[in-house]
Amino acid sequence: MKKVKLGLSLLLVMTMLFLAACGNNSNNAGSTNSGSSNSGEEASLEPMTLRLASGDANPQWDNMQSDIGKFIKEKTGITIEQEFPVGGSDADMFALMVASDEYPDLVMPKGNVNKLVDAGALIDLRPLLEEHAPNIMKVYGEYINRLVHSAEDDSIYVLPLDGVGQTYFDAGGGFQIQHQVLEELGYPEIKTVKDYENAIKTYLEKNPTTEDGQPRIGLSLNGGEWQILISVTNPAFYATGAPDDGEFYVNQDTYEVIMHYQRPEEREYFRWLNHMNDIGLLDKESFVQKYDQYKSKIASGRVLGIIDQDWDYAEAENALKAEGKFEQTYANFPVTLDESYQDASFMGTGYLASYGIGITVDAKDPVRIIKFLDYLASEEGQILVNWGIEGQHYTVEDGKRVIIPEVLDMKVNDNNTFKKQTGIGNYFMSARYGDGVLDSTGNYFTTNFPDQIVAQYSEADKKTLAAYGKTVYKDFWPADDAFKERAYGAGWTINFDTASDANVIFQKSQDIMKKYIPQAILADPADFDKVYDEFMAELDKINVAKMNAEYSELIKKRVEMWSK
Amino acid sequence: MKSQTSNQNSVAKISSTKRFFRTMVQQKYLYFMSLPFVIWIIVFSYVPIWGWLMAFQNYRPRNNILNQDWVGFKHFIELFSDERFYLVLRNTLAMSSMGLIVSFTVPVIFALLLNELRQQFFKRTIQTIAYLPHFVSWVVVSGIVTKMLSTDGGAVNELLMALHIIDQPIQFMAKGEWFWGIVTIADAWKETGWNTIIFLAAMSGIDPELYEASTVDGAGRFRKMWHITLPGIRTTFMVLFILSIGHLISIGFEKQFLLSNPLVNDYAEVLDLYALNYGINLSRYSYGTAIGIFNSVVSIILVFLANFIYKKVTKESVI
Repeated sequence: MKKVKLGLSLLLVMTMLFLAACGNNSNNAGSTNSGSSNSGEEASLEPMTLRLASGDANPQWDNMQSDIGKFIKEKTGITIEQEFPVGGSDADMFALMVASDEYPDLVMPKGNVNKLVDAGALIDLRPLLEEHAPNIMKVYGEYINRLVHSAEDDSIYVLPLDGVGQTYFDAGGGFQIQHQVLEELGYPEIKTVKDYENAIKTYLEKNPTTEDGQPRIGLSLNGGEWQILISVTNPAFYATGAPDDGEFYVNQDTYEVIMHYQRPEEREYFRWLNHMNDIGLLDKESFVQKYDQYKSKIASGRVLGIIDQDWDYAEAENALKAEGKFEQTYANFPVTLDESYQDASFMGTGYLASYGIGITVDAKDPVRIIKFLDYLASEEGQILVNWGIEGQHYTVEDGKRVIIPEVLDMKVNDNNTFKKQTGIGNYFMSARYGDGVLDSTGNYFTTNFPDQIVAQYSEADKKTLAAYGKTVYKDFWPADDAFKERAYGAGWTINFDTASDANVIFQKSQDIMKKYIPQAILADPADFDKVYDEFMAELDKINVAKMNAEYSELIKKRVEMWSK
Repeated sequence: MKSQTSNQNSVAKISSTKRFFRTMVQQKYLYFMSLPFVIWIIVFSYVPIWGWLMAFQNYRPRNNILNQDWVGFKHFIELFSDERFYLVLRNTLAMSSMGLIVSFTVPVIFALLLNELRQQFFKRTIQTIAYLPHFVSWVVVSGIVTKMLSTDGGAVNELLMALHIIDQPIQFMAKGEWFWGIVTIADAWKETGWNTIIFLAAMSGIDPELYEASTVDGAGRFRKMWHITLPGIRTTFMVLFILSIGHLISIGFEKQFLLSNPLVNDYAEVLDLYALNYGINLSRYSYGTAIGIFNSVVSIILVFLANFIYKKVTKESVI
């Protein structure tokens, strides 16, 4: 009898546990349902949490705990919970999201929009925009047709986050070299890869180690992870006078396309990197190091030159600034293979409707979300996310907005903390104006305008620029009207259809590139051509010609759509 | 005579079914208790097999699984004709067999040594320290490994240089052929202590009288290890070994993914990573599923094969 009782009670416990596990789920489902039922209410300030999956990891995300975060929470009742890719890339994150068929309220899918659209995960924003979002419509203005998904599907799935009407006042790319190198060599001209090489070489010969005896590194590339595209292969575009069109080179007249590695000019660029390796200036670990290692090298101040974009190395450079080692931070130059090329980084694109934010089918209350985004796109909202809160982060003097000196000091010298504490830069989640656009009071919407940029330069930057007789780094680049505008925007914003074979060819070409480019660069100079020829042959073998043709079609379609 | 035996047989048959039901009624509580777990297995292991249908379709997530284009074996044909697939299969099998060998020799030796220790406190301390790395995530381990093997002040290179074994730092992480070894060693560092626990438990279950008797017979330490301890853990060892042979092909991709770099990718890419890159990432869910099916089928074959061999050799079976 006792045994039976024991058995029964055990059974009871088991079933309870099992049921409890199931029950929890149904409870959850119930609560989400009740959430959707109050969608009819107007402009409520009832607390609401929005999940946002962002394809770009932001270590400085503040969880709404920053000044701006708290302000937005109070003003709109909305709390944003952000999720970022863990370990893998954004492509993994969104592919797995589609596979699980469960979506957060909002997504910033970067280049994965097609995947989500194919899965029916995004809602068409057009009716919502027309009805509830006057501010967003105003910001996009005449460019609204650039938001359209494709020629076949005229829905609007994402709101691009690129600033409308953007004027570039400063340059964040190019080739970087430490201020101390330039100073010691008496500010030599840095125009071609040879100039760049000589500067590094001369300095390194004189100063092989740092003050505390650590060996200096000539040139380090961030080639161990996905940034191989940013730090190794994209510069091949810039150094040979072509704009960055993803992995493709587009003929501007005929819209014929080839993979950019197939250009003979770029072979010469990689030959130069090979030469840099041969003479020992290239960091041997360039293709082995992890991003963390790369950043810690830069932060140690030992790396004389890098070829990267500012957003990729800013965190490490900020660490140097926080320590006051300004002479070890970088100046950037548009370096080309030889004098005959002009850096085309700033070749015009028109309004570049690139990566944006979309609302998913699982969103509880799309109307409230679009109203929230509309608030961020309003003049008040845009000033808030760009400038912060009046009296706390900026003041208005004689009708002009000025950043409070202490805040500016933190922004310049300790940007990582600045972003996390103030939240400025963390809430670009809606349509916005770019640099150089004025608001109704005649002030710039963003904090990037010539005076402010100069005000944010460190003493080292100012000294270097003064020595070259420039005010901003952008002045080294060719003037904006040196190139014709690209009618298709930029290649990297155009993606293949998910079901297309070209996608597979593209993935294969990427694997091949990641294998052969490092191999070619690290090869004995005598073998360089052999390796590069092999690389070309491998690309032919997987039929890149077919992919190129398909891409060319996409470009032509885009041109047609945008020129309407 | 003949009819009598058949009669007896059928009687025996009836009584055996009867007996089965009788015990079932008797032990009904035990059956009830196992029910939740049976349901659990059905829900989580068998229901998802529905998804295998995807491998024979051009699956697009927007539509229902029954409302898709059926393409037969197209994805399997594509898979088996892709050169890269054989490359990643080679890497997967190489790394998992190396891992298998290391993870079944080093922990057993370690367990044997620990088992010989007299001082309980010392033994426990060593054991705890040894299994702590198991709880360190691969992200951290890969960071430690790359840093240790770095040419830029990495500990291993510094040590080798100081001992004058080499004059130039070696680029460990840039040598494809070495990648399998590096993964195996990193894995051994991380998991040895953990894998030891189960062998130690098996060893503590051996009857101490056996040791006493052998002492009386004049056996030394190594004799005892060889003739008592090792045979004592044989069953545990074999069960674990056969089960891990089943996992040979599905070794996950964490360590390879985190430790690899473009230079060694031809040696580092494993099947799961291939499924991710060429399947899910390209929204080719069907292709990914085909790889998954291949994985499962190979695993099942491997388990039965291992069991079959074990049965042949020892006349015992673990499945």
